[in-house]
Amino acid sequence: MSNNWEMVIGLEVHAQLKTSSKLFSSSPNQFGSEPNENVNFIDSGMPGMLPVLNFGCIEMAIKTGYALNFKINKYSVFERKNYFYPDLPQGYQISQFEFPILSEGFINIDSGDNQKKIRIERAHLEQDAGKSIHDIDPKYSFIDLNRVGTPLLEIVSYPDLSSADEVINYMSSLRQLLMYIDVCDGNMQEGSLRADVNLSVRKKGQELGTRCEIKNLNSFKFIKQAIEYEFQRQINIIDGGGEIEQNTMLFDTSTGETRAMRSKEFSHDYRYFPDPDLLPVYLSQEQIDKIKPSVGELPQDKLNKYLDNYSLDKDIAKIIITEKQNANLFEKMISESNVKPKFIAAWLVGDIFAFIKENNLEVNSLNDKTKDITDLLRLISDDVISNKAGKEILPKVLNGEGKPSELVKVLGLEQVSDSGELEKIIDEALVGEEENILKFQGGSDRVLGYFVGKCLKATKGKGNPKLINKILLERLNKK
Amino acid sequence: MKNSISQIKKALIEKKISVSELYDEYLAKAKSGNNNSFNLVIDRENNISSINDSQNRYDNGNPLPLDGIPLGIKDLFCTKGIRTTASSKILSNFIPNYESFVTQQLLNDGSIFIGKNNCDEFAMGSSNETSYFGPVINPWKNKNSQKDNLVPGGSSGGSAAAVAEGSCVASMGTDTGGSIRQPASLCGIVGLKPTFGSCSRWGIVAFASSLDQAGPLTNCVEDAAYILNSINKHDFNDSTSSNHQREDYLTDINNSLEKKIKIGIPSDYLEDVSEDILNQIDNTKQALSKHGIEFIDVEFKTTEYALSTYYILAPAEASSNLARYDGVRYGIREDGESLDDIYLNSRTKGFGDEVTRRILIGAYVLSAGYYDAYYRQAQKVRRLIKNDFQRILNDVDFILTPTTPNEAFKIGDKLDPISMYKNDIYTVPTSLAGLPGISIPSGLSKNGLPLGVQFIGNYFEEKTLLQLAALAEKELSFNE
Amino acid sequence: MSDIDIKRISYLAKLKLPSEKEEFYSNSLKDIIKWVDNLKKVDTSKTEPLHNVTEKTVSIRNDEVSKSNCVDDVLSNAPERAQNFFKVPKVVE
Ligand SMILES: [Mg+2]
Ligand SMILES: [Zn+2]
Repeated sequence: MSNNWEMVIGLEVHAQLKTSSKLFSSSPNQFGSEPNENVNFIDSGMPGMLPVLNFGCIEMAIKTGYALNFKINKYSVFERKNYFYPDLPQGYQISQFEFPILSEGFINIDSGDNQKKIRIERAHLEQDAGKSIHDIDPKYSFIDLNRVGTPLLEIVSYPDLSSADEVINYMSSLRQLLMYIDVCDGNMQEGSLRADVNLSVRKKGQELGTRCEIKNLNSFKFIKQAIEYEFQRQINIIDGGGEIEQNTMLFDTSTGETRAMRSKEFSHDYRYFPDPDLLPVYLSQEQIDKIKPSVGELPQDKLNKYLDNYSLDKDIAKIIITEKQNANLFEKMISESNVKPKFIAAWLVGDIFAFIKENNLEVNSLNDKTKDITDLLRLISDDVISNKAGKEILPKVLNGEGKPSELVKVLGLEQVSDSGELEKIIDEALVGEEENILKFQGGSDRVLGYFVGKCLKATKGKGNPKLINKILLERLNKK
Repeated sequence: MKNSISQIKKALIEKKISVSELYDEYLAKAKSGNNNSFNLVIDRENNISSINDSQNRYDNGNPLPLDGIPLGIKDLFCTKGIRTTASSKILSNFIPNYESFVTQQLLNDGSIFIGKNNCDEFAMGSSNETSYFGPVINPWKNKNSQKDNLVPGGSSGGSAAAVAEGSCVASMGTDTGGSIRQPASLCGIVGLKPTFGSCSRWGIVAFASSLDQAGPLTNCVEDAAYILNSINKHDFNDSTSSNHQREDYLTDINNSLEKKIKIGIPSDYLEDVSEDILNQIDNTKQALSKHGIEFIDVEFKTTEYALSTYYILAPAEASSNLARYDGVRYGIREDGESLDDIYLNSRTKGFGDEVTRRILIGAYVLSAGYYDAYYRQAQKVRRLIKNDFQRILNDVDFILTPTTPNEAFKIGDKLDPISMYKNDIYTVPTSLAGLPGISIPSGLSKNGLPLGVQFIGNYFEEKTLLQLAALAEKELSFNE
Repeated sequence: MSDIDIKRISYLAKLKLPSEKEEFYSNSLKDIIKWVDNLKKVDTSKTEPLHNVTEKTVSIRNDEVSKSNCVDDVLSNAPERAQNFFKVPKVVE
């Protein structure tokens, strides 16, 4: 009976930092280059080569420190984690161990209707490894060291997560924050953000069980699948009278199962020790403070602003803040026009996002069309054109087919807002409607809708509905 | 033919000899030498353009500081396009595509490389017997048993022997726990280990990164100053390189020291030493006392822990530094069914006994359960040793010690590693403290073998250290 | 001092000692570890470890790219290569 069981999960997230060069060498930090194109003598572990720290990585770590509520440590030490692996040219990974650059942070995530605080133990800088390609040849592996030395920030949470959904929410929040502060591109497919899931199970209220670590998951889907499979696997073992072995697991994406990595004759012993090629990193308060302004507004700051200053609906505001580029687009439109933010927001999350999705576009690609968009929104909110006409023109504006005012003219979509003309139409429409007029006077609101529809039809849809409404009411009440 | 660099430069300027003639003399010596002091002698063709350029500069009257000077280079410095082996089988086919910082400075200053000097494998040894290319023979013989081949000391044994035999004017060595000073002493030449952080480690095959330091082995103190002027520079690419202001070590080297100086002699270093060794200290003391230098007894509190500290820290760093030799990207690959086999076979067959031993020690002292007791404790004791030196250097300007506890011994004589390690008893503490030390010849033993004394100075005070050493050298010079 | 597990240490160091040499190294290691054991006598309760005598770095790079070599420079010493990859027997995870 799995409903007596609960899972306890801690996450180690590796985020590739968006620097130009690598953590300890000046090779390009670039995805998708030709094999071994971005490799220098340091990256390939040639004899006598020495690391020199990239301050850009320190800056990004500090920004992350602010965004994730960390204590930013003025003293941190790079150590060597010693193990043999073909993708690891030096025979060790330079990482931080005893003295990480960030410690004791947290973020709040959504959990059901509530917020839950997830504590983060630490985050440290380290080098990424290279890649082996196994599927070119049945007998050989091919080694590409391009990724060697790419800066990673490993973010290690406390075991505060207790469901796959919470894990996904935590990962998306992390991803959102890291992208907001521009330290990670968040591209999970390319491996820019990868998670190791540490999972154990226990009967509700009991002590922590033995955990297994599922390595290197790079999509939300796989994370969810792996967690659900591993949860059940551990329960089955215990229910069958067995014991959980502390193991490192791989997730097989084709079967959706986890399995223990080839068992080692001896357990790992990484023999961490301070890297004698590097000296401790000392940061001054001044250096740390200087970086703060570059953190910018975080999603929560924006949410508060949108609710308090712009009176957006919470759901709409949340959609806009998911990604910084959405928020940027939104704020650009506000600053460039005097259309009501709430009105802009409705159009943005509605027709504009739909257009982006349909056409597979980047949100950023609309940045140079904001003036046209707000011009169009202005026409709608000023009742120059109807909502419906707006919807018709928007795609054309977004495709760059013309300026909104021109399009309105060309397509003949301008609304009739001349009250003299409308009065005439309305008077004609009321002819022979004595029975309905009596109904209206008897209190039936439904009849009003009927009259508005009839009048609109008579204007071929171009009549300004508000004005029609107003004149109608005047006429009806007089009768 | 043991001319100093300034004498040679004078002869070149006065056209008594050409750069090419000079080079050929040393090249012939290097090629015909039978002390096994070179792992590789560079072909003449490879040096022709350097020789011509150098000659042109002499002809035009603007020679560089080391123009045309034939040098040996320990086979631990990566030299672009020239095989660099660290005297190990595992690197025996390695040709770097880069030039070490230090050797680049020497090339920039016009020197010409004769070849790569033999050394202990990965610089691990005190007798040059661990080299994959066989032991180096000390050019000196015991006058009471002329037939015996003696060790030159190590690990820069090939460098020391090459300078002593005259197959290069000077050689670049490296010193981790005494690897320049000890062989210099046993071969009767000068060896300088600068302050840690003076000369860049970039491009030197690493042994123990927090201790390795490049330095010259030369015929005289003045030559050491010539080389130091060239190589002692800040290098941004070595994070442990110091950016302090460097001095000109050559000017005023023969002037007497400005202030009245005090030299400490650590009494604890002289317990149980042989008469031969005591004589060296006495000679030096007498010679320098004439110049108004004051000697006082000092006592270290940490000497008995220095070797233990060193033989934990150096192997620990080495075990990690040598993890990159795996037969995948360069070096010798041994066959294997799987990649893991290739790793295991390449490393097991590629490293000699002493290197294997030190890798094992290193892995042990860093491993779970032993780290605190050994590695961390050794790092703490290292601080105590450093503090101990600073305490003494508050009272005195320099420290005088023997360089080695004994004269050169017979090849194959010391089989037990611990008795071998004890060879570095006087040089290791300085290395742990990161201080500069220079060994100069101070006299001959009863068997007619050279012995040296070591002067230790304060951090980055190589200038006065060299002045003192030059003064002592003048007084102590002995004839072969 | 506890016993030295030479198999485990050589496993960590990626060395495959021939069985006839295991004892040689094991004894040698025991001797050396016993010899360095005198450090345990030293009171270091108030002492911080010293990683390196230079305690502050002056070498911190700005985040700038420089390409100083080509692919061939990196691969020229490779025991086996295939196009621009290093080639090794298949790795099984
Ligand atoms: Mg992990
Ligand atoms: Zn990691």
